[in-house]
Amino acid sequence: MKTKQTLIERAAAMPATTWHFLNMNDVRIEIPEDLAIAPKVRVFEPWASHGSRDEFENALADAQEAWELEHPEPTAEEQRARAELLEAEADATYGGTAQSNYQVQADAIEEARSLSVAFEHGMGDEVAAYLRYAAEDRVVISAGPGEKVNAQVLVSSVQGGVSVAAIDVVADEGSDVELSVVVDSEQDAAANAGADRASQGLVGTTVRVFADKDARVRVERTQALQEGFTDIDDMGLFAGDRARIDVRQAVLGGSCAYAGLAGDLRGSSSRIEVETRYLGRAEQVRDFNYSLRHHGAKTRCNLQANGVLADKSKKTLRGTIDLVRGCKGAEGSENETVLLVDEGVHNKTVPVILCNEDDVAGNHGATIGHIRDEQLFYLACRGLAQDAAERMFASAIVEQAALDAGSAAAREAVVRLGERMSPGFAELFEGADDDR
Amino acid sequence: MAENTIIVTTSGKKRTQVADVDRGMYDFRYEDADAEKLEAGLTPEIVREISERKGEPAWMLEHRLKSLEIYNSIEMSDWGPSIDGLDMDNIVTYVKPNTDQKSDWDSVPDNIKDTFDRLGIPEAERSYLAGVGAQYDSELVYHSMQESAAKMGIVYSGIEEALHGDYADLIQSKFMTLIPPTDHKFAALHGAVWSGGSFVYVPKGVRLDYPLQSYFRLNAKGAGQFEHTLIIVEDDADLHFIEGCSAPKYNVANLHAGAVELFVGKRAHLRYSTIENWSKNMYNLNTKRCRCDEEGQIEWISGSFGSHVGYLYPMSILAGRKAQASFTGITFAGSGQNLDTGCKVVLGAPETSASVETKGISKDGGIQTFRSSVVATPAAKGSRCSVSCQSLMLDDRSRSDTIPAMDIRCKNVDIGHEATIGRIGDDKVFYLMSRGIGEEEARTMIVNGFAEPISKELPLEYAVEMNNLIKLEMEGAIG
Amino acid sequence: MASSFLLSCRGLSAAADETPILHDVDLEVPAGEVHVLMGPNGAGKSTLGHVLMGDPAYSVTSGSVEFDGADITELSPDKRSRAGLFLSFQAPVEIPGVPLRSFLRAMVEGRGQKMKNKEFRKKIKELAQTLDMDPAYLDRELGVGFSGGEKKKVEMLQLLLLEPKLAILDETDSGLDVDALSVVSRGMELYREQCDGTLLIITHNTRILEHLNVDCVHVMVSGRLVAAGPSGLIDEIDAQGFERFELDNSAE
Repeated sequence: MKTKQTLIERAAAMPATTWHFLNMNDVRIEIPEDLAIAPKVRVFEPWASHGSRDEFENALADAQEAWELEHPEPTAEEQRARAELLEAEADATYGGTAQSNYQVQADAIEEARSLSVAFEHGMGDEVAAYLRYAAEDRVVISAGPGEKVNAQVLVSSVQGGVSVAAIDVVADEGSDVELSVVVDSEQDAAANAGADRASQGLVGTTVRVFADKDARVRVERTQALQEGFTDIDDMGLFAGDRARIDVRQAVLGGSCAYAGLAGDLRGSSSRIEVETRYLGRAEQVRDFNYSLRHHGAKTRCNLQANGVLADKSKKTLRGTIDLVRGCKGAEGSENETVLLVDEGVHNKTVPVILCNEDDVAGNHGATIGHIRDEQLFYLACRGLAQDAAERMFASAIVEQAALDAGSAAAREAVVRLGERMSPGFAELFEGADDDR
Repeated sequence: MAENTIIVTTSGKKRTQVADVDRGMYDFRYEDADAEKLEAGLTPEIVREISERKGEPAWMLEHRLKSLEIYNSIEMSDWGPSIDGLDMDNIVTYVKPNTDQKSDWDSVPDNIKDTFDRLGIPEAERSYLAGVGAQYDSELVYHSMQESAAKMGIVYSGIEEALHGDYADLIQSKFMTLIPPTDHKFAALHGAVWSGGSFVYVPKGVRLDYPLQSYFRLNAKGAGQFEHTLIIVEDDADLHFIEGCSAPKYNVANLHAGAVELFVGKRAHLRYSTIENWSKNMYNLNTKRCRCDEEGQIEWISGSFGSHVGYLYPMSILAGRKAQASFTGITFAGSGQNLDTGCKVVLGAPETSASVETKGISKDGGIQTFRSSVVATPAAKGSRCSVSCQSLMLDDRSRSDTIPAMDIRCKNVDIGHEATIGRIGDDKVFYLMSRGIGEEEARTMIVNGFAEPISKELPLEYAVEMNNLIKLEMEGAIG
Repeated sequence: MASSFLLSCRGLSAAADETPILHDVDLEVPAGEVHVLMGPNGAGKSTLGHVLMGDPAYSVTSGSVEFDGADITELSPDKRSRAGLFLSFQAPVEIPGVPLRSFLRAMVEGRGQKMKNKEFRKKIKELAQTLDMDPAYLDRELGVGFSGGEKKKVEMLQLLLLEPKLAILDETDSGLDVDALSVVSRGMELYREQCDGTLLIITHNTRILEHLNVDCVHVMVSGRLVAAGPSGLIDEIDAQGFERFELDNSAE
């Protein structure tokens, strides 16, 4: 029997859309209505870093004031001159340039001159609002000027429930924050064989990061859920002058995993680096939406996604780099490598660059397909035929995630998933540290 | 007979001159006093009347009426440039010039002949073309092919004429099968009001060494042009087809919603070159598609310079094993232009391959978007596709967007995509200036160099024209 | 009749993209011996190594390769590997996303060897130490950011882990630094000591051969084997180069 679903249409939409027949512009998320709100969240952080509820809003409001000082509103004179110019242009060019919906919207965002209007959630406002509602409470991690904070948030799946954490990170000037988010099914939560897989439960996080001048924030999110759970990873980032935000995601388990990340590179010389690693097996669904907006001068962003799709898994990646007028000297790049190892897989990629500024460099690349010929020959010389090589690439995603895990909890979660995939995994990787 | 008047646009200041001068050679126009126009707007009556005037077979009228229904039932897409400036109720869908189709230029009325003379068509025909078709508003006014080509069994004629000839059944079996009226709103519109266009048939094994060219001129104010081009290149045959288009500038919108359907047989080869240079009041919503059978090859060469709004994505459907497609395109968007161009590729059979190389330039507030889709179906085993797209921003008032989508449903494929965006490097300008070259010239040289890999693929006389276009567009761009 | 040689190729000719590279090569390597393949740049030495391993970039146009009593001419490289043939790469490829440890494990599993992960971990750690390699490399992505010497160590580690019957070491690159050179020498010594291995060393760098008892030297010029002889040939080549063989060849 089909249970009633809450639907979120057009979640994680990319800013500039394309042909509908491709079905890539956004994603439709189904949430069974009979799931109970039951957040199971554990937070490990130094007591001193616990911030107040509206710390993020306050930080953004302060940033707004500072930004306005640096970017005064055009004078009436300037506005008039601009209007005249536009009018003259419209006369000369048959009503002015016809814009697309996106271009109109993008201009409206800039004209609002508001950091909070420009601040976006990668999953879209509707999903973010749902997650905040489901989280019940908010974890606020705050680092004072120059402070160093290391925090962990563990979110566990709940059978038949919605387990969500809402996290704000507010990093003051020159501070250093490291946040490890682990989304996981606990060991004793036995697989519920035969149950309707999609209705097993929903796990999610919505993370907002405010990185003030010279702050450095690292967010690592590791998802190693059991089959049957849906995962929603929502992030919104704000980077002030010279701030640097690094996000590392590992999407390994669960059934459907949605990840959306939006970032505002507002401060000059700010930088956002996103590295995503994913594995799709069985009938898993992976959906990624990235949207990074360069506002500040000399800002940098880099998106890296590497994944392996096996069996009948499906994946969509929407990656948008938006070089907004005024971001002189900005550089944005995105790169994706997808290895398709089975006939039944389905991969969609749309790496978008939007550019409204000439003094910039934007580039993207995507490589989709099979193992490169020279690698395949090398591996064959070591006795690995194509299918064995492909299996190795697939399991290497999990192994590399175990090796790179930034916290013990993250590593344990990955190792547990690895062990479920292939018994003996733990022995190979758990003690890798001892060897050094 | 009424006296025809030439109106040539002239202008004063250098800066505004740029936009005008560059298309000066297209910007003369004749009053369409003699032309027969149908009422503006779109009703079943108008559609019936178009069909009746053409004395078409019944299936075509049916097709038109069905298409009109579809047109009225579907929405305009929401992702591209706005077409709000296009008031369909005021677009004249059918304008018949004051002449029937001729096969020698001397019989073509002076005003129309003069138009094509200025565009250099008869001269090009004499020097290197195997055949020419010229359309003026809604109808072909001239069609001619060298005898040698006719002897090879090649058919090159108006498509309407062909509907009554030996190939009528063949046309009926192919017409709007690649571009069904349901595809999008303007495909439906095309299906309802199409008029004019060429039909080309190249028999098995026949290879034509010289290109055929069709030139489309939209002269009437506030009108639409909806020509249909159908080309069938049979197995092992080879053809190069060139399409050119232009229009004088008016202060109301004109619409071009043509359709091009190409069928490339086994091991056959077709090169389809287009230079689109519509005036800047044109909404160009053209649809082009090609289907390639086993080892067939389609080569698209596409230059987009004109139009107020452009939607253009030639599509290659690689339906047979080892079929190949290549797309080489350049788009130059200046003041007041929003050109949304690119291509679509379907890898639909084993071991197919496609390569896409495009360059986009935007300046003076112009918007240039590269949009593409590459779909590899589960049948595409062993296929490859590479897409490379470079955009150049000439100032910070313009916009260049790149929206490439890939949908891959097959394991053993190689799909690569790369795109870059940026401006003219100051270091390059400095280098050239240090060698005594003025800044403006240096920039022009760099832009020409950027466009060169594409422009060298364009038919020769157009390549020269394009370089001039870039030069003129660049003039006054500084300071 | 099965040949008494571990490896023998007869009348082997091969081409790349229809360009012939190897011509009528006859080569025999008995088990337990050390053979050296020398020749000037571009002679086709590396190609021979790759063809023996079954590189699909080359096509065998005539002749056959027999290994350990079986005709392997048509065998894919992975099957040749599992049959006991090993080719070390002059420039090992990088495989981002795959930790070295995972790769080694897949290699061993591919051979159907039953080894507990714990045991396996111990073994590769020991091998790393024998080769003077930091075990931290085991957790790094294969080849990514490795120096030339480190890459060589990884190749030698695989040689010692797999213990093949015949190892073809492609060391054509004379640009090997001192580090890399000693790594290769050490690897070869251990391989000879531990599993009485058979070697076919492709090189024109004679220093690499200093600590080895070479049984036979083959000289290749323009895709043909033009001379064979005892180890003394090495000194001769060292002193006079390949000119003599080149002349011989052109006189044909």
